[in-house]
Amino acid sequence: MNWLYSTAALCLLSAIVAGLLRILRGPTAADSMLAAQLFGTCGVAILLLLSKGLDWLVLQDIALVFALLAALAAVAFALRTWGGTER
Amino acid sequence: MTDAMGIFDIMLALVLPWLGWRLLASPNLFRAVVLFISLGLLMSLAWVRLHAPDVALAEAAIGAGLTGALFLSALRRLERLRDSERRLDYAEKREEEQNLPPEKRRKSKPVAYVLALFLLSVFLLLLGGALLKTPVAPGRLGPAVAGQMGQSGVQSRVTAVLLNFRGYDTLLEVMVLFLAALGVWSLTRVRQTPQEKVPGPVLATLVRLLVPLMITVAGYLVWIGSSRAGGAFQGGAVLAAAGVLLLLANVTVVRQIPSTLLRWALVLGPLLFLLSAVACMSIGGNLLEYPRQSAGSWILLIESATAVSIGVTLAALYAGGRPHEPAAREAIVDKSADTKVKNGEGA
Repeated sequence: MNWLYSTAALCLLSAIVAGLLRILRGPTAADSMLAAQLFGTCGVAILLLLSKGLDWLVLQDIALVFALLAALAAVAFALRTWGGTER
Repeated sequence: MTDAMGIFDIMLALVLPWLGWRLLASPNLFRAVVLFISLGLLMSLAWVRLHAPDVALAEAAIGAGLTGALFLSALRRLERLRDSERRLDYAEKREEEQNLPPEKRRKSKPVAYVLALFLLSVFLLLLGGALLKTPVAPGRLGPAVAGQMGQSGVQSRVTAVLLNFRGYDTLLEVMVLFLAALGVWSLTRVRQTPQEKVPGPVLATLVRLLVPLMITVAGYLVWIGSSRAGGAFQGGAVLAAAGVLLLLANVTVVRQIPSTLLRWALVLGPLLFLLSAVACMSIGGNLLEYPRQSAGSWILLIESATAVSIGVTLAALYAGGRPHEPAAREAIVDKSADTKVKNGEGA
């Protein structure tokens, strides 16, 4: 596997770990949720890098599912946790 | 260079248990839910690193997407209940208990702990006994599956095992899901609420763009399942995600689906699976022993029907109750799980 891909994947995983602190610290619910959304984006990027580096096409399908379903949690959050208070 | 991937794996292996512990130990439920969504994403990456793309796909769809939406909606309902009924119930119960004579009160904590420990050890003993009695496979199963791939009708080993070699197990799993949906439907109805405000432009556009895409991807996953990772369960989960999105956005279309149609969609997969199992016997084979030449088509047919049913089942589990009868058409039905809770209902 090309070193460029693996190093980039490692950097992205480090970004996820750094984002974990934001989830734990907050301070608001939106901060935590956006960190989780960042994980979704990083996850897609990691999967695409691995797919390219390992020449493994299946990973693109997983990245597709990641990208599609990350939006679901965001919508649920926006409707149920964040904006839903006035209803 | 594999060193970077080595560090990647070590990092993943260290973060996952820590994340799991933080999630279980978190006193803040919302934070726990967000941590759970992150855990699902990282678990999926771990499955990829373990060369199990099928599991990674299922985890990405269920763990990170569907469960996250389900938990966020459940949390909202809990918060609404918390202020009114739940506290009241609890206070009443305590008062009642204090009025009881001492021998009728609930068992004190040490007794409950000892009892729980006893039951747990009995369970562990039984589990250990079952493990000891299970015969060990004579060889590795991988080569055995690889040797039989020619007659499975598909190219993906996982699909060959799930739908052909061990089709009976999958049939039972599909039935379990069906039973779960039946259980939820027999417990309660989705609550009725009048039409609420229409979704805003952002949400409406998102629904319009994402739902067709999700349905297409679900079909793609079922189709691709015969040659590589994918299949009925993953496709069904993505289909369910489309359903949950429609329920969340509370669009009119969802409320107008007749409940008969939903019932049939729920039954379709298990019924077709069962019928083809019996049909295989009537042709002259064993249960679920497809004819060699057309095994691929049988598997695709069963998978497509099962995917539809799994999608409807998971979305129905999210909605949390059976739909209203078509007769009640004039009363507009809302199936989203968190609408206004009437006193006592849905507690």
